[in-house]
Amino acid sequence: MQVLANTARANALRSSIRSFASSAARSQAAPLEKPVLNKEFKIYRWNPDEPAKKPTLQTYTIDLNQTGPMVLDALIKIKNEIDPTLTFRRSCREGICGSCAMNIDGQNTLACLCRIDRKTSKDTKIYPLPHMYIVKDLVPDMTLFYKQYKSIKPYLQNDNPPEKGEFLQSQEDRKKLDGLYECILCACCSTSCPSYWWNQDEYLGPATLMQAYRWIADSRDSYSSQRKDQLQNEMSMYRCHTIFNCARTCPKGLNPAAAIAKIKLELAAE
Amino acid sequence: MASSMLLRSTLPRSFASATGRNVLRSALQAIYSGTVNDPTTFPPSSKTHGSYHWAFERLLAASLVPMTTAAFVTTGSSYPVLDGLLGISLVMHSHIGFDSMVVDYLHKRKFPIIGPAMTWILRTATVGVLVGVYQFNTNDIGLTELIAKVWTA
Amino acid sequence: MSVSARVGLGSAVRRAAFTPAIGRNQIALRTAILKRGVQTQSLPPSASQEILNAQRLKRPSSPHFTIYQPQLTWISSIANRATGGALSALLYGFSLAYLVAPGTFDSAHIIEFVAGLPEYLKYAGKVVLAAPFAFHFWNGLRHLSWDMGKFLSLKAAYRAGYAVLGVSAVTTVALVLM
Repeated sequence: MQVLANTARANALRSSIRSFASSAARSQAAPLEKPVLNKEFKIYRWNPDEPAKKPTLQTYTIDLNQTGPMVLDALIKIKNEIDPTLTFRRSCREGICGSCAMNIDGQNTLACLCRIDRKTSKDTKIYPLPHMYIVKDLVPDMTLFYKQYKSIKPYLQNDNPPEKGEFLQSQEDRKKLDGLYECILCACCSTSCPSYWWNQDEYLGPATLMQAYRWIADSRDSYSSQRKDQLQNEMSMYRCHTIFNCARTCPKGLNPAAAIAKIKLELAAE
Repeated sequence: MASSMLLRSTLPRSFASATGRNVLRSALQAIYSGTVNDPTTFPPSSKTHGSYHWAFERLLAASLVPMTTAAFVTTGSSYPVLDGLLGISLVMHSHIGFDSMVVDYLHKRKFPIIGPAMTWILRTATVGVLVGVYQFNTNDIGLTELIAKVWTA
Repeated sequence: MSVSARVGLGSAVRRAAFTPAIGRNQIALRTAILKRGVQTQSLPPSASQEILNAQRLKRPSSPHFTIYQPQLTWISSIANRATGGALSALLYGFSLAYLVAPGTFDSAHIIEFVAGLPEYLKYAGKVVLAAPFAFHFWNGLRHLSWDMGKFLSLKAAYRAGYAVLGVSAVTTVALVLM
């Protein structure tokens, strides 16, 4: 109680000083009042504490002029000011962690890289990544995705490391990894792939397959024949029908479809 | 209201619970074997199901282009071999297409009865179709001739 | 604090915490809790897997193609499959029909039947046959070029897609007028 009173007194003191100092300036420039720009966000909700209740879309209306430019800003505003039970993953807010991957207006993307459509006539619909088991609201269970990623051994394998120093690589060989290594494993591509929707427990999906190619293409890795041999079956890779949803949706502008096509060509040439 | 209808997750889940097999499906898909740190496993390696199948499918599809052209240019009874070859290739192309639909949508791990049943129905049908096409090409005017005549009928 | 608040221990714990003599006395604290009649059950660490699996069985699957934006990529892919399937079904249907009843489904009967149809129905039938064939043919070539490593960038894939649509339309018209 004592503390509270103290802060109140300090605040009063500070504001009186400020009004005294800036009274002249304030009469000249009134702060620009932005008009209210309300937009509806319809967000997928499902609560594990009430598992029998079907998932629903809940509508939230917020003022875009009091919100940051990205969809993630809107979600954080809703969570802070309207509904603290709204649950979603987020971390870096700059498109490098991949946590806030979700389906916004029908397209998988990162909420932090997706600008809010400022047309207020149309609502923005936000769903979790498609065809995933939902832990809560916009949070999907990524366990299988990570297990699949682990299955392709996403690390350098070489039985004959150089005797001294590091592995050396020509500039051309290094260039082959561009467009592959930048993947942040947000799972936007895999969960946009119809083949992954129907067969995700057997088919690896675009994200994992592109990383498989990233290690097949690496000149320092000596296990590429084993890596390729693992994919020689009906399900792991050949469920890819070159639909291109993966390349279309990738928030990092990468092209898993092309990487998978290259694996297929390499396997056929063997 | 409309969106809540969309949300009622459509295909396999409702099907599985409707037939009382959701326990089976969940054990297959919702519950993963091993811990979070265990990688998924690969099926046994087989080029017949992998790159050979893929390459054959593409070569067959690509060869359909010159084959169709040749069969229609030489239409009539002058080169029945071409017509017969096209008939067989088309049926194989169709069979591979249907088979890939069965694998995609009705895989036996999700549909333990319908899946294998469809595979065998497809195989039987393909054999029947091959016989039918052969008989039509030998006893009747042949596929390309039929299409050409129906088109201008 | 929130945990104790939820199980209704708020005041008991607070009282214990603000009374230094009892607060440091763990046994007294525990009896204070026990008096409130809280039951706890000891589980082995392995039980966590069962609890998690029980939760997993209740999880809904998020919506997919019903909410996904229609895009040239997957629409043209499913159209390729649908047109191919429809044409194949026609081939299978006719061949099996001929196998079963060669007398009814021979060429003479079919041509006679088609010739007897009214003109507009003939044109409609030709469109229904020519359009899927044209699309499947050209889109098949698009797929084959991808498989040879061509047009693999997103931009090229889209351009090829629009080209397929255009060429298919022209081919359909040409075939119908033949």
